[in-house]
Amino acid sequence: MNAIIEVNNVSKTYGETKAVSELNLSIPSGVLCGFLGPNGAGKSTTIRMMMSIIHPDSGYIQVLGTSALDAKDNIGYLPEERGVYRKMRVGTFIQYIANLKGIRGSQLKRDIDNWLDRVELPGVKKKKCEELSKGMQQKVQFIASIIHNPELIILDEPFSGLDPLNTQTIGSIIHELHQEGKTIIFSTHVLQQAEEICDRIVMIDKGHKVIDDDIAHVHEAHNPNLIQVVPLDLNIDFTSLPEVERQSLTKEEDAYHLKLTADADPVKLIQSIAGSTPIKGIEIVKPTLTEIFINKVAETEGQDAAKATREQLAHA
Amino acid sequence: MRKVLTVAWREFRDTAMTKAFIFGAIIMPVISIGLFVMIIPLLDSEDEPLTGIIAIQAPDDVADEIEDLLQNAAHPLQEQLNQLPDIVTNDPIAKNMLPQATETDLVYKRIPMDVEFDEKTLAEEGYVAFVSVPETLLTPMSETNTLEITVPTNLSVDHTDFLTRNTETAVVNARLKRQGHQPDAMRELLKRPNAIAMRIQEDGNVESDNELARRILPIAFMMLLWTAAFTSGNYLLTTTIEEKSNKVIEVLLSAISPMQLLGGKIIGQAGVSAVILGMYGSAAIIGLLTFALFDIVTISQLVLFIVYFIMGYFMIATMMVAVGSAVSELSDAQSLMGPMMLLLMIPFFLWPIITDHPHGTVAIVSSYIPPLTPFIMIIRTTSANDPLMLWEILLSIGVGYLAVLAMVWMTARIFRIGILMQGKPPNLWQLLLWVKRG
Repeated sequence: MNAIIEVNNVSKTYGETKAVSELNLSIPSGVLCGFLGPNGAGKSTTIRMMMSIIHPDSGYIQVLGTSALDAKDNIGYLPEERGVYRKMRVGTFIQYIANLKGIRGSQLKRDIDNWLDRVELPGVKKKKCEELSKGMQQKVQFIASIIHNPELIILDEPFSGLDPLNTQTIGSIIHELHQEGKTIIFSTHVLQQAEEICDRIVMIDKGHKVIDDDIAHVHEAHNPNLIQVVPLDLNIDFTSLPEVERQSLTKEEDAYHLKLTADADPVKLIQSIAGSTPIKGIEIVKPTLTEIFINKVAETEGQDAAKATREQLAHA
Repeated sequence: MRKVLTVAWREFRDTAMTKAFIFGAIIMPVISIGLFVMIIPLLDSEDEPLTGIIAIQAPDDVADEIEDLLQNAAHPLQEQLNQLPDIVTNDPIAKNMLPQATETDLVYKRIPMDVEFDEKTLAEEGYVAFVSVPETLLTPMSETNTLEITVPTNLSVDHTDFLTRNTETAVVNARLKRQGHQPDAMRELLKRPNAIAMRIQEDGNVESDNELARRILPIAFMMLLWTAAFTSGNYLLTTTIEEKSNKVIEVLLSAISPMQLLGGKIIGQAGVSAVILGMYGSAAIIGLLTFALFDIVTISQLVLFIVYFIMGYFMIATMMVAVGSAVSELSDAQSLMGPMMLLLMIPFFLWPIITDHPHGTVAIVSSYIPPLTPFIMIIRTTSANDPLMLWEILLSIGVGYLAVLAMVWMTARIFRIGILMQGKPPNLWQLLLWVKRG
């Protein structure tokens, strides 16, 4: 797959703060990529540099094979800080942004109506933006970012401030756009959201890239080689099995985590346990992105940094 | 270019095609003029005739003069009023604005000099005034030169003034007659002739000096230029700050470059400025045509006005947009606007000096100091009797437009950095650093 975005050795500093440090990225075309990290990790700065809104101190960025300045008409962008012209009517606002992206004509008016219906905002076209709630304004801005049918869509925290119902609406549209072949990058500090819909993730922390891979590979690479089993009788010892290296009770103390040996086949072992032992349930343990991220931070920056990151993510 | 024009059209539409603009720039002036026109007849109706009894205690010749003057008094400015052109005196509105003579319907009661008049009973007895002129006032070289007129509480200021003025004249008339002179003849002799300055024109013709044009035209042109440029510059400031505070700026910058945004905004507000100029300029032209004074403006002055207007607009617009992009709230702009306003007020302070001495050192030096150039030059070109040298005009245009280019360049650098900045606004020194960095 061709890279739709190439970030080459990019750094950006604000005063004493290094927001992005020697970042290298290559986002393939057609992916739904989660751009992840805690607050202040450098996500928005990187995205703004990708959009040529701000410029890197060093390094260079190519978007759609050129500078983002030359490719703006083919990029849809929803910034982190939402903004609309308060006195402007909703339809006029979307039309104005579309005009700036080079889209005009009667089809545009039909598209605006269709999109307003699609995000469940029928009948607001003639209303002034200031008459809408924050969530509604956010949906209007989302439409403004994709109304010109761009090839690449960059969404900075698209779900922040939305209620669960609207999160689902926007989430399903993002999924549909991805199905249509659009490349979508969205940043979030809620790692669970990315885990649910992304097929690729980029994680950054303190301006450094931590992970950049397909989500399947990420899970594979960070496979803890664990099986969780819930036996009917907790007084059972699985360490007699040759594939089990050790056995430990889970936090809830109603199940065991079985750490497997490096050459063990978890599927075969599950079949073997299920056939020989009375159990309520058994499954392969997949690490969450949050755990992977914290482990990565711990590897690179130590346990204290990992602890701080864990707390930050817990409060996000 | 299409994107720049899209921004420009939005900027124009959302400024000039709004209720606030139409109300503030069109309806309000029309309402003001309408109210003015309506108030004039009301003012006229306030001038009631002076009626009642006047008690006069004065030597007979003075009392005769007082009665005669109060019955036949003209307005004190009648001579000047008689010199006004017919177009003014025949105009129903203008005519109403001119001062009118006071109408009287008075009964005169002479009080002998040796009778004590009780002034406290004035109102009860129905008198409108008690005029007391002592004999000593008519004696030449008299030590005292004061007389008293007692009036009731409710007599209007105009009527009181009318009585005092005519009584004073009556005393002077009586003095002159006692000396064997005719007052009207003396007044005619003392009337100053009207000297008209004739000036030799460039083409050799001799024409009369138009003092009115020489005084009024420079300030009128400069005010027009300043108002049109500053009003739209102010809109530019507020719309830029609004885009920053609404956080819509990042959406815009995802579609266009900062330079396209800056260009569109300045072009859009130039349209607003042109509309303001057109409105007030048209009103001024109608005024000149009404009073048959259009010939005091020359074509070359109008052409130069357009040239300096464009220059002045770009200078003010770039300064305003630089300030607007550097701050996040309108209140934050005040500290940066202060020095700028002071600079832009300088032409007002210099106007009287430059009108009197359009070729003086102050005029020449300030002509080449941007952003004063367009304002000073428009004063000079409209106030100088002998036209400015062509090289002076060309040099000022060259200096002015070079300054515009430099200001656009500096503003672009400030705009690029400032437009995404939030928080504490920069000071002037930091703005200069942005210019260096941008």
